Amino acid sequence: MSNRTPPRIEFLQGTLDVLILRTLRPGPQHGHAIAKHIQRTSEDLLQVETGSLYPALHRLEARGWVAASWELSNKGKRARFYRLTPSGRKQLATQQSQWQSFSRAMRLILNPADQEAK
Amino acid sequence: MNTFFRKLAWFAQRRRKEGQLAAELQFHLEEEAEDLENAGLAGDEARRAARRELGNVGLIQEDTRAAWGWPLAEQFLQDLRYAVRTILRNPGFTLVATLTLALGIGANTAIFSFLDALLMRSLPVADPESLVVLNWHSRPPQDADKQWVHVMHGVQGIAWPGGKGVMVSGMFPYGAFETLREENPVFSTLFGYFNGLKRTLAVRGQATSAGAEYVTGEYFRGLGVSPAVGRLIDSEDDRPGAAPVAVISFATSQNRFGGPSNAIGQPILVDNVPFTVIGVAPPEFFGVDPAVAPDLYLPLHASVLIDSPGAARMYGDGNFYWIEMMGRLRPGVSMAQAQAVLAPRFHQWVATTAKTDGERAKLPALILNPGAEGLGSLRRQYSKPLYVLLMMVGLILATACANIANLLLARAAARRREMAVRLSLGAGRFRVVRQLLTESVMLASLGGAFGVLFAIWGVRSLTLLLSHGQENFTLHAELNWNVLAVTAGLSVVCGLLFGLAPAIQSTRPDVIPALKDGRGGGPRRRALHALVVAQIAISFLILVAAGLFVRTLNNLHSVQLGYARENILLFSLNARQAGHRDPEIATFYADLRKRFESIPGVSSATLSQASIINAARAGQAIRGPMKIGAVNLDGARVLAAGPRFLTTMQIPILAGREIDDRDQPGSRPVAVISERLARTYFENENPVGRRITLPDEKRDLEIVGVSANLRYGGLKNEEESAMTVFVAVSQFSPDGVTYALHTAGDPLRYVKSVQEIVREADSRIPVTKVITQAAEIDGTISRELTFAKLCKGFAGLALLIACVGLYGTMSYNIARRTGEVGIRMALGAQRRTVVWMVLREVLVLAGGGLVFGIPIALGTSRFVASLLYQVKPNDSGALAAAVGIILGAALVAGYLPAYRASRIDPMVAVRHE
Repeated sequence: MSNRTPPRIEFLQGTLDVLILRTLRPGPQHGHAIAKHIQRTSEDLLQVETGSLYPALHRLEARGWVAASWELSNKGKRARFYRLTPSGRKQLATQQSQWQSFSRAMRLILNPADQEAK
Repeated sequence: MNTFFRKLAWFAQRRRKEGQLAAELQFHLEEEAEDLENAGLAGDEARRAARRELGNVGLIQEDTRAAWGWPLAEQFLQDLRYAVRTILRNPGFTLVATLTLALGIGANTAIFSFLDALLMRSLPVADPESLVVLNWHSRPPQDADKQWVHVMHGVQGIAWPGGKGVMVSGMFPYGAFETLREENPVFSTLFGYFNGLKRTLAVRGQATSAGAEYVTGEYFRGLGVSPAVGRLIDSEDDRPGAAPVAVISFATSQNRFGGPSNAIGQPILVDNVPFTVIGVAPPEFFGVDPAVAPDLYLPLHASVLIDSPGAARMYGDGNFYWIEMMGRLRPGVSMAQAQAVLAPRFHQWVATTAKTDGERAKLPALILNPGAEGLGSLRRQYSKPLYVLLMMVGLILATACANIANLLLARAAARRREMAVRLSLGAGRFRVVRQLLTESVMLASLGGAFGVLFAIWGVRSLTLLLSHGQENFTLHAELNWNVLAVTAGLSVVCGLLFGLAPAIQSTRPDVIPALKDGRGGGPRRRALHALVVAQIAISFLILVAAGLFVRTLNNLHSVQLGYARENILLFSLNARQAGHRDPEIATFYADLRKRFESIPGVSSATLSQASIINAARAGQAIRGPMKIGAVNLDGARVLAAGPRFLTTMQIPILAGREIDDRDQPGSRPVAVISERLARTYFENENPVGRRITLPDEKRDLEIVGVSANLRYGGLKNEEESAMTVFVAVSQFSPDGVTYALHTAGDPLRYVKSVQEIVREADSRIPVTKVITQAAEIDGTISRELTFAKLCKGFAGLALLIACVGLYGTMSYNIARRTGEVGIRMALGAQRRTVVWMVLREVLVLAGGGLVFGIPIALGTSRFVASLLYQVKPNDSGALAAAVGIILGAALVAGYLPAYRASRIDPMVAVRHE
């Protein structure tokens, strides 16, 4: 593990949920693929701990935002696939816009120059 | 709500989900290993790395389970499983705790179920909340000079004292009923009824005694009762000249006809008058007064057929009070509104019945009371004693709880290490407390479950005790949801009560000393001692109560009645109800007496209008004042008695003779008076030969004898004066009579002979109220007997529980101080000194209990004052006895631990240290 560069960022409270939901938008995925996708897409800046991933997946399932079913993975093994439910889709939209305004606000405050440049 | 059910569904499939989670994680592991292998790691290496990356699987599972929802329920199940294991591991402890709790909770449940039946149950009719009872109140009828001045000239029924010296009654003249019934704007129905007392009911030639209720045509409709079979009495049936019909109770239909449907259309004889059964009341219906529960309902106007001709007069007499009334409020009308409308109407009517200014000055005023619970006679009689009992069993339950708390505290000390290990491994304190509380509540629930069984038995025996000597006791307690809910609540409260202190104690955050010290220890003694002191104080309270009630009973038993108590058989006959009439009825009764007297073993037989106990309740045969010359005879009772009454009852004859066979219907009317009466009105003159004038027919009685004084109406009745006028039963011919037989040996052995003789004489007459004189006398003090018995039992129970607590505490103390005692003995302490050392501690604890108990006893005993007889609530004898018993019991409980302490081998003890 230690050989992995670059330095990772700690997850902010509540970020994982929206990342999972966003990852599932294109289509159903199993847990391992979700973790890998987040890691890859964030250019290895975000590392999803298995210890938080599965509780999070099950929590989302308990809230009815994702649904799970056992299907065959592309390698032919039985895996538990998660997919967005309609209410999960709605939730994603809300959270996404929240996060976007939040990160915009952060950017505005931290880099006022950026804004002027734009 | 939706989420709740989803969680619930998951909860049910938990096991399956566990398996799925494991499979899911396994898949993750394999994927990860494959990825790593693809990245160039060797197979084993990759798998190890993947596992490392996965981290703590147990923790993931734990966290995921939490995501499934209901971690609380989850933990609760865990706690429950753990509690079951702990409880099973200590069967002895569990048994003792469960049994004590079962006794405590069971006793509480039993008493509460009576209170529930008495105070909370409604009449089993439609919409009982809209029923109201009509009563009136007025100033007392007697003037300052004891003259009766009141529009109520006569009454059949009861009046009872209300607050501030007013008289309250539910009896009205028939005219009042008719007036209020007409165009009533506030009641949808107004109905009346009156107690028809005991009647002879003959079904297919078999005669028995049955309680009758006369009801108006609106009665069943107003109560909203529908028949089990047939139809009920309606307005068409209740008018002069209507066909005589009757409705019988469900129980009567089963006992006498073999089922409700067999009874319809059957002819019956009520006091020899033919009636036809038209319907059967539903099984749960008991009329309007739970104390009465009639067997037979007759139309009001049928009273003219049965009680003629006196009954017909009652309808027209506006000054004779006899009918009771209930109304059903129209929807939207409140009780206060109804009273505001009806009170002036009643006032207007009752004013027309007043004949003098004196009567007009204190006219009765109408008041309405809620009718939902029925009439309150049972409530007036039993609620106070039941509250006292409830308080006592509540205290017993508290001692039982204290005991278990004690045991748990001792055990908590033993489990300190376990707790310390858990706490130091990171268990939250609240979590551990919750687990311990689960354990104790579970223990309590177990006790509660057994308590219900105990309560069923308790209800049965309490019914027996309370009904003591009463023919038809109608207060039936049962275990219903109310009661069971209270039991369950009690169990939980008990569990929390006795579990909380030990739980908090044993989870104190200072874990280090506990971990170091394997043998437990630490300062737990103060809590233990406080509990023991509380137990002793409570036992003391109950002992004092028991002492007071036992003394009350002793006082009652030592009351001089003035007549024989033992070896007397009493039974009643009513020949008039079977069709016998004057003057033949007097001969019939006289002949029967002679036949009873000829039964071998019967030394004498007599009859009277009622037994001596009942004569006070049944009222007088003669209304109004008797006179000696021009002087009113005040406070004397009249008892119509047959030949040999004084001999049979063993009342000494002081002068002249008693009433005998010479006193016939046609002969000169005679009287025998009691000594007190003679002293009061004739001073030192000889009253024999003097005369008493009766008010009704201006008859003169010649006094032929003087008897010793006797006490009427049972043992408690202090107000009864001993002034008695015995008149000849043959010359007054009451309807029914009570015979008394003085027998050799057990009076009840003669019942069979008596019944044969009566059947031979007239098979239509049932023999009723068969009882021994002793039992009838005890019946008047049934409450005192019950209290004395129950309190003795309760006191024993509380004392036993407290002794067990004391014993346990002392044993525990000694076990902990083995080393100390050993050193003392090694240094030369005598065994006697050690015993005394322990006993001194026991006495200090007992003394502590008394220090709290005595002031509480002094402060609270006045609550039972009204239940005592010639005993002051702070009776020093009862207090002293209770103190003695407590100290004695404490010494007994403490002696075994003390003895054991004195046998400690110093060598063993010191080495152990």
